[in-house]
Amino acid sequence: MTGLLSLSRAPVRFAIGLAAPVLLLLWWQWQATAHISTFAPPGAVGQAAAALIRDGTLLNDMLATLGRAFGGLFIGAPLGVATGVAMGIWRPLDRLLGPLLHGLRQVPMIGWLPLIGLWFGVGEGTELIVVSMSAFFPAMLNSHAGVAQVERRYEEVGRIYGFGTVQRIRFILLPAAMPLVLTGLTQSLAFAWIATIGTEILTGAGSGLGVTMQLAQTQQRLDIMLVTIAATALLGFVINHLFLRLRRRLLRWQPSSL
Amino acid sequence: MSADTRPARPGQDHPGQNHPGKERGALSIAGLNKSFVIGGRPRRVLEDINLTVRPGEFVSIVGASGCGKSTLLRLIVGLDADYAGDVRLDGQRISTTSLDRGIVFQDHRLFPWMTLEQNIELALLNTDTPKERRAQIVADHIALVNLKGFEKAYPHQLSGGMAQRAAIARALVTEPKLLLLDEPLGALDALTRVHVQNEIQRIWMTQRSTMVMVTHDVEEALYLGDRVVVMSPNPGRIRRIVEVDLPHPRDRRSPLLHRLKDEILAELTSGAGQGEEEPTNLVHLPNREER
Amino acid sequence: MASRPLSTPAGAGRRFSPGVMLPPLALLALWQAACLTGLFPAQVLVPPSEVARSLAAMTASGELQAHIGDSLWRLLIGFAIGAVAGLAFGSLIALSRLAETALSPLFLTLWQVPVIAFVPMMVLFLGIDEPFKIAVVAIAAFFPVALATFDGIRGVPRAWFEVARVYRTRLPDLVRRILLPATVPAVLTGLRVALTRAWVVLIAAELLAADSGIGQMMEMGRQLFRIDVVLAGVVVSGLIGFLLDRGARAIERRATRWRTA
Repeated sequence: MTGLLSLSRAPVRFAIGLAAPVLLLLWWQWQATAHISTFAPPGAVGQAAAALIRDGTLLNDMLATLGRAFGGLFIGAPLGVATGVAMGIWRPLDRLLGPLLHGLRQVPMIGWLPLIGLWFGVGEGTELIVVSMSAFFPAMLNSHAGVAQVERRYEEVGRIYGFGTVQRIRFILLPAAMPLVLTGLTQSLAFAWIATIGTEILTGAGSGLGVTMQLAQTQQRLDIMLVTIAATALLGFVINHLFLRLRRRLLRWQPSSL
Repeated sequence: MSADTRPARPGQDHPGQNHPGKERGALSIAGLNKSFVIGGRPRRVLEDINLTVRPGEFVSIVGASGCGKSTLLRLIVGLDADYAGDVRLDGQRISTTSLDRGIVFQDHRLFPWMTLEQNIELALLNTDTPKERRAQIVADHIALVNLKGFEKAYPHQLSGGMAQRAAIARALVTEPKLLLLDEPLGALDALTRVHVQNEIQRIWMTQRSTMVMVTHDVEEALYLGDRVVVMSPNPGRIRRIVEVDLPHPRDRRSPLLHRLKDEILAELTSGAGQGEEEPTNLVHLPNREER
Repeated sequence: MASRPLSTPAGAGRRFSPGVMLPPLALLALWQAACLTGLFPAQVLVPPSEVARSLAAMTASGELQAHIGDSLWRLLIGFAIGAVAGLAFGSLIALSRLAETALSPLFLTLWQVPVIAFVPMMVLFLGIDEPFKIAVVAIAAFFPVALATFDGIRGVPRAWFEVARVYRTRLPDLVRRILLPATVPAVLTGLRVALTRAWVVLIAAELLAADSGIGQMMEMGRQLFRIDVVLAGVVVSGLIGFLLDRGARAIERRATRWRTA
């Protein structure tokens, strides 16, 4: 059944998986040589990457972007979790804040940029607010859902052992909501990352991967742009991967966590 | 709650309770009625229940599904205080939950996010058991249900029978005067059931606390109970109370058990014709029900 | 912060009760009152009545409709292209092992890049005219649809195929009675997610470079310090996003009901 060229063999899979990117590269090289200057040849991208790494621009940009994304995440996500949990536990708060928050949520987060830019000027503060808002909503929604749908049978166990409110929250509601809270945080992370790149591209203030991307666009430097896009993808992948590992560790009590 | 003498050593006669002179675990139910509102109309689920359980007695309750036996347990444990009539434990009217009364559900209800050990220790959270003694008490109870070596296991890593034994340990760790068992073996396969039944019998003989078990397995009810309460549905009523005059531990092959079983089964199947539910599979397909 | 006079309170809950409207209305009143005290200069905050007036004025002049029309047109074309491509691509890699092996690594790598990061590159290649915006929307729609289609097809339980084998179901019946009904819900969810993402990305693209559209309206408002226009844009973009999501959900619900019925 398994021949030498069977798809179930890892090296074969790898080789076939490589085919598409290689073809893309060849096409690109051909475009670059046959056509206009907007198509930087693949080799140029390598050189650009080397140069950007050597003069520290890339590292600088990456750190700036990471700082912004995590700054926003660390402001928005805890606020979101706290708000969501509070709303899930205490109905009146849900009634009070729910409609407002669900209304605000409908606006594309990037759409807040002009307004907040007007209020606080185009700069670091505005970017941080938009990134925090992007991180806030997924955390809030998922934490709320997580707390609201804790199974009654577990609550009954708490009643039988005479749990008070704090014990109920600490030993039942929070752990039971944890999978959804973490799902929310995963989304918060992704949204904060996207919002960071987006606001950087749109405001072009300070340094950062998005700023450099935007600059590369105005200077018609495809090579630099591709390097920053690759860096964005790589960082996004690494952060996401680390977070999934953290999640798996926190949820090791689950039969098979995703 | 008591904190001094501990259970779990077989052969010991009266472990656990420390209110000498005071009655322990005497349950009395008098004139109990309970209705639910279903589709806007009240529907009676329990009608005129009268039952007295002596301290240290094991009472089984059997009946078809829908006869209100689980509702009865929820009232006794205090999860539902909305009833007419009287349910008293040692003279005190039951209106809410209390550490005096433990319960084991059909689904083990261990918290999936805690290890076996943590789950059991959590039951001690609101007792006045000294902190430094809790670990030992938990270990004793894990030993009592033969789960040594699984202290750090999460519930999903335990088999059904093990999880149910763990739930029994959790219910016992607070040394309740009254332990309620709500179809504790309903979700287990036949062989595991027999095994855990033996365990329950052994635990009850070492603990001697009052136990009330709801089941729809007549054989199980007879094997464990000093008395078997037979209930009929729509509305739930006590139809008959059968004394099982056999010493523990019992022999499953005892002719008396078999004779009583035939009697009760005949009673359950003949009378059930009045209800709308089909009478044939009332008793013998436990896993079909309530799932 | 802003609340939105035009929005329905939905999203908030399953059942609509008038009481739900109370807190937002109170907030709106507070906002209006705060502006009337003269605490905020008009460049910082304008009262909701002012926003409503701007909306009315822009509607009267036809300006608002033009912006909305342009945005929705771009969304429609781009989404259609992206969704069809996503459906085709997702089905291809789900049904063919070879295609999966060959294309999924590249696909998953590109998936890591926030779509918004492609915006500058798209500008570089396509300029800032219509093709750019449509392409960005199409890319934003492509990925969620492709992934959902793949998951939907691969998620059909093996047991169902075995049942079909037992009953010797023929291929057309297999597709019509098992494969399609089983994948439709996942695909619809993917389409809905894609639609809302596409809307967000379109707003971003319009903020960056456009001569019309809701995003451009807001950006112009910002540059001219017209906070009423910016707020009107926030309201309209939120409302459209909300309606798109609700509409898609309604379709989703109807389709899945047909499935279970």
